[in-house]
Amino acid sequence: MATAEMNGATFEIDEDGFLLDYGAFNENWIEYVRGQEGIDELNEEHTKVIEVLQDYYEKNGIAPMVRVLSKLTKFKLKHIYELFPSGPGKGACKMAGLPKPTGCV
Amino acid sequence: MPEGKYCNKTPVETPEEVNFLLSDTSGNTYYEEMESLDIDSDLLWKTIQNTFKSRLKTWLEICAHCGMCAESCFLYQVNNRDPKQVPAYKIQSTLGEIINRKGKVDNKFMRHAMEVAWAQCTCCNRCGTYCPHGIDTGIMFGYLRGLLYQQGFVPWEMKIGAGMHRTYRAQMDVTNEDFVETFEWMIEENEDEYPGLTAPVDKEGADILYTVNAREVKHYPEDLAEAAILFHIAGENWTIPSAGWEQTSLAMFAGDWAACKMQVESVYAAMERLKPKRMIGTECGHAHRATVIEGPYWAGRKDGLPPVESIHYVEWLAEALRTGKLKIDPSKRIKELVTIQDSCNYIRNQGLKDATREIISYIVEPGYFVEMSPNKEHNYCCGGGGGFNGIGIFRKQRNKALITKRDQILKTGAKLVLAPCHNCWDAIRDLEEEYNIGIRWSFLKPVIIKMLDIPDHLKPEE
Repeated sequence: MATAEMNGATFEIDEDGFLLDYGAFNENWIEYVRGQEGIDELNEEHTKVIEVLQDYYEKNGIAPMVRVLSKLTKFKLKHIYELFPSGPGKGACKMAGLPKPTGCV
Repeated sequence: MPEGKYCNKTPVETPEEVNFLLSDTSGNTYYEEMESLDIDSDLLWKTIQNTFKSRLKTWLEICAHCGMCAESCFLYQVNNRDPKQVPAYKIQSTLGEIINRKGKVDNKFMRHAMEVAWAQCTCCNRCGTYCPHGIDTGIMFGYLRGLLYQQGFVPWEMKIGAGMHRTYRAQMDVTNEDFVETFEWMIEENEDEYPGLTAPVDKEGADILYTVNAREVKHYPEDLAEAAILFHIAGENWTIPSAGWEQTSLAMFAGDWAACKMQVESVYAAMERLKPKRMIGTECGHAHRATVIEGPYWAGRKDGLPPVESIHYVEWLAEALRTGKLKIDPSKRIKELVTIQDSCNYIRNQGLKDATREIISYIVEPGYFVEMSPNKEHNYCCGGGGGFNGIGIFRKQRNKALITKRDQILKTGAKLVLAPCHNCWDAIRDLEEEYNIGIRWSFLKPVIIKMLDIPDHLKPEE
């Protein structure tokens, strides 16, 4: 099993670097993905996206469509990409500790 | 053991069942259960007797074991020319054995066959063009996948994908309402820049019915916006269907034949209902194969054609540039070395190589386009076709498979790769992530929008 490390914490990850155990999500995971995604600094908007993704995932067992993410955060698509350059389906879901979306992604 | 909770022979058909399977993250329990899944040999043999017909039977029997297919297969090349990667061996040792043994195969055999079917063949059909008998192993693997799916030996993500089609008539959990709403949202976000931008829903008798890939709705809605912008600038009379909008088919990758039929019939129903002059699909390879090339046969259409003329996005783009519906500002053409990835599904399998080269002639400054070698119908698979990109358990094999494309791209010297196919786009993105060769990759839509010469009356007021 592949692992990722950050500040002394170890995380089990899948073959694409997504967190295997959603329950293991914490601040160190966010910091790890921030480095992976090449995001210089996190702000409260990143946090908002993460919270919305997690809330939806906990209720539905799957990541939301970008439309839902935009509605709930009030961020335009362009802005979501500014926050997460690799896109909402990859970078943002990864940082929020969600599993890799299935299908053609 | 009989059927597992997650891994079994029963198709997934409801949102609850999809979510239940998704809850087994990465399919860990699913694959454990697969190790004790029984084979229903009677059903398997009966299915073969009913479906294994003259073409496949002949192909399997007339193979002369000449080995011409070996070098044609990029997976053979990239795996140290292992004889076990020769296409003829791969199919004879799996499908051939199931038939020799009249379906009496064991669990270990079926798990091995699953790996060969999904991790050693991308159904790119290149071997078929080199076989002196014209035997197409890719087609045969498509058939084998169907037998494996029936018996429950299918990668976790593929079972989910097929289940999504059965549940939502889309490869992801995107409803018809979600589709229309997302398109409308994209219009809202872009109408200031493109006044008058619309996405007409369910317009009867339009010139174009546009169909998409559910991923564009779920994860990449900018692709919908770009399609609307290009149709708008070109002055097209187009529409989207409120149902039957999903052109892709993970069911085809999964080998779920019944779901293939259900999915493609939903698109054909939209054609029958809205009676457009033509259907145009998005920049996707397998979607075109599923809906335009293979779909008519799944749906039992005697003429082998969809209900209305159906073309690939690159055919429309080439036509729009040729007829002047879209005009390129020559000063904005690509002026760096650039190459193009030929999608197996519509270049090799439908001969659209001239359409993409025609587009290149409009958008790249002369002297900057570099062909990969080999190219056009001889091009290699991106490395992630046939569902390979989306199967976690075979990620190591997939990453190795990307090496062929990586080296082809490196040899061109180009840092920009045009990839008018979602699957190719993903594979090229992943090869950059895996091997860091310093390239960029793009669909055609965003590249073309940036270089359009937009008529004054379509520009926003100052």
